[in-house]
Amino acid sequence: MSKTITIDPITRVEGHGRVTIHLDEYGKVEDSFFHIVEFRGFERFIQGHPYWEAPILVQRLCGICPVSHHLAAAKAIDQLVGIDPNDLTPSARKLRKLMHYGQIFQSHALHFFYLASPDLLFGMDAPIEKRNVFAVALANKELAKKGILMRKFGQEIIKAIAGKRIHGVAAVPGGMHKTLNPDERDYFLNGKEIPNVDTMIDWSLEIIRFIKAYHGQHKDLLDTFAEFPSGHLGMVDPNGNLELYHGNLRAIDNEGKRTLNDVPTDDYQKYFSEAIEHWSYMKFPYLTNIGREKGWNRVGPLARINVCDAIPTPLAEIERKEFRAFTGKRVNNSTMYSHWARLIEILHCAEEIKTLLEDDAILGTDLVREGKPRLEGIGIIEAPRGTLTHHYQVDEKGMITRCNLIVSTTHNNQAMNQAVKWVANNVISQKGAITDGMLNQVEVAIRAYDPCLSCATQAIGQMSLRVELINHKGEKIDERIKNGN
Amino acid sequence: METKVLIIGIGNSARGDDALGWHFAEKVAALMPWEVEYCYQLQIEDANKIQEYDTVILVDATMQKSEKGFSFTKCTPVNSFSFSTHRIDPGAILWLSTELYNRTPAVHVMAIEGVQWELGQGLSPEAERNFNNALSYFLDWTRNNFIAELERILPSEAPHFQLQKSTDTGSGL
Repeated sequence: MSKTITIDPITRVEGHGRVTIHLDEYGKVEDSFFHIVEFRGFERFIQGHPYWEAPILVQRLCGICPVSHHLAAAKAIDQLVGIDPNDLTPSARKLRKLMHYGQIFQSHALHFFYLASPDLLFGMDAPIEKRNVFAVALANKELAKKGILMRKFGQEIIKAIAGKRIHGVAAVPGGMHKTLNPDERDYFLNGKEIPNVDTMIDWSLEIIRFIKAYHGQHKDLLDTFAEFPSGHLGMVDPNGNLELYHGNLRAIDNEGKRTLNDVPTDDYQKYFSEAIEHWSYMKFPYLTNIGREKGWNRVGPLARINVCDAIPTPLAEIERKEFRAFTGKRVNNSTMYSHWARLIEILHCAEEIKTLLEDDAILGTDLVREGKPRLEGIGIIEAPRGTLTHHYQVDEKGMITRCNLIVSTTHNNQAMNQAVKWVANNVISQKGAITDGMLNQVEVAIRAYDPCLSCATQAIGQMSLRVELINHKGEKIDERIKNGN
Repeated sequence: METKVLIIGIGNSARGDDALGWHFAEKVAALMPWEVEYCYQLQIEDANKIQEYDTVILVDATMQKSEKGFSFTKCTPVNSFSFSTHRIDPGAILWLSTELYNRTPAVHVMAIEGVQWELGQGLSPEAERNFNNALSYFLDWTRNNFIAELERILPSEAPHFQLQKSTDTGSGL
């Protein structure tokens, strides 16, 4: 008799996901799916609002990465008032970048210390009561405290610029709402009240040493677990360096061949399409010229490290070279290396934060510029989880008539499904008994992408859930519907 | 020595009655000389935050029905293993504060009943009524527990807060 295994909900990711693994009558995996069952609605909700509300409203998409949505929307709204990214005043541009690096720093710290570290410290087969950050706190208090303080540092950067940890008002059309004063800046440099930015760099290096030591002990696991070929997409500067705020889009295939050759972000529509599947509310973006089957890309830390030629901060560049040398390949297609890549980006952000804090431009008061209004604006940034696109059209009165969001996790939709298939085929298929450790490996594969499912579907309200059981003949043998309320 | 008090409003001001926690914190901030934070949901770093205070009030909306439309309870440390990025229980935050920093502040949870949670909606009439009841109760509780300090630190002409001892013992619901 065929059997369906359901993991619902996936833990230690943001939002609600569900996995079904279909086994045939012999216990062999027939197929598997990573379903997103939240409804996509924010793009419609925002229509009819004035454009200047967009950077504020879109922060409500997510409690984890509101700053990323705020900044991507702000870049798009800049264009609606006639200001392109390079037209911002130096102070406004540097304040936005400081906020952006603070956001990525705290988001990556959250993921590594709170979500990923239990799997690494205690193993994928550890009992469920150990697979959480509370067990980390008991086992390694200093690691837990550093994780907390690193996240806090990034959040304090955001708070200093936006006034709040979440949902502050920082960017306005054509610039920034406020600047920093010298006391606010010194808070991050002098180390009197919180560990300073130099300590953040030291701790970033420390956790990279941790992951390298882990790699030394578990190289085979990292190399092979959920390893599969894919494209990779990320932003680079005009010299091919890693760029997180504004640059060109570059994509490569699984062997490193360019599939998108440093194109301006404003042209994204020429190159990308989105497919839908009946079993998920999350779309599947792909490169139009390659097609749905092979044109999808991973995004996020691993993809960014894969596509760039170099990292423009010295310590992170040393680490990137070592990372590349370890794998010995032009392109790293191993899911678990995302953790290592994420830590290199933490270090890069810490270095960038230090450079910006030491730049007097962040104390400047020339913050806003105006241009000739337009009816369309596109803002693309590299959010913690990958390439994030906000695109708005407005009428003559400035009311939003169309909104299109391609969220980082959406790009990773196919990759997460591939990762689930890998675990299903290599860990679960034909093993007889299904253990809790096996099921956790499915979650480990998904968690490596740090998915934000609320963002990806622009969740709205509470959704109904439909569960269908399909046998090996393709017949629906059972159905359950749970109403949202 | 002055008692350090922190109010944390939890919720989402864009989702109907989920704004109750933020509204409550905002109101208390206007009345009391205490520090106020706003968040979507509690996170692990809040353990680091609360350990700096003697008393912490967490305010959130709830779907749970109660006779008075709100509940006010004292929290105890709980070694909870139900962590996801969605939510961490107040007891778990207190447990982390105790475990990592050897500090166990007095944490109270004010949960105010809401009924509608959709994007773009304001507070429902039921939530407003529950909000007013909860605030009234909380101010009575504050008078009973902080009267001496408030007399010392608040200006005598403070317009919003009558410093008279209430007969309500404020022992919780």
